[in-house]
Amino acid sequence: MKRNTFYLLVGIVALIEVGIFWLSVEAERPILIQVAFVLGVILLYAVRRTVEERMEDERTAMITQKAALRTLETFWVAFFAISLGSAVVAFSRPLGLRPPHLGPPGTAPPDMLELPFIGGFALFQMALLCLMIFLYVGFRVYYARKYGDWDTDEEQD
Amino acid sequence: MKNRIKVYRAMHDLTQEGLANELGVTRQTILAIEKGKYDPSLELAFKIARFFGVTIEDIFFYGDTAERP
Repeated sequence: MKRNTFYLLVGIVALIEVGIFWLSVEAERPILIQVAFVLGVILLYAVRRTVEERMEDERTAMITQKAALRTLETFWVAFFAISLGSAVVAFSRPLGLRPPHLGPPGTAPPDMLELPFIGGFALFQMALLCLMIFLYVGFRVYYARKYGDWDTDEEQD
Repeated sequence: MKNRIKVYRAMHDLTQEGLANELGVTRQTILAIEKGKYDPSLELAFKIARFFGVTIEDIFFYGDTAERP
């Protein structure tokens, strides 16, 4: 498979995943998107091996390793700091048995987790993961530049 | 670490792309090695030397060592 065909396939898989996400929301079946996401990633990893044009060698592997390590080093600090803040918020609320709920049936007391909050937390987690991806890309660009990925010479077209 | 890959390429009338294909690496890696931005692994250094039929010391030498004739 050619490299551009692979990138096209990545785009198609991403679109399908978005479709399955909405389908999953409509059907209220989270397992759909979870399984589809894992299968999509496995498919792309498998197809990437068949790309004819060489995309990786020892230098690119080293760049990837360095970028991944720096991302991990930076991200765990950010993630832990945010988690500490969340823990403080959680422990600031009453612990142990909750007082009897006097509100109308079907509504949650104000200090209990409600479903929309859980959805918000999932979105927050995804935002953090996006931050991690941006961090990784930033480090990747930095090391790629350092180790000559965009250098040109007289042989360049 | 400096190297004389460019000289040996010229002697064998090889482009960076050609050498990269022979060694199983990307053209950018050959370019980065030639420019001294990336020091190859020992394995790749041996491959390069063996490909040109010389020793590693003929191609690679430490930075402040005087350039070989």
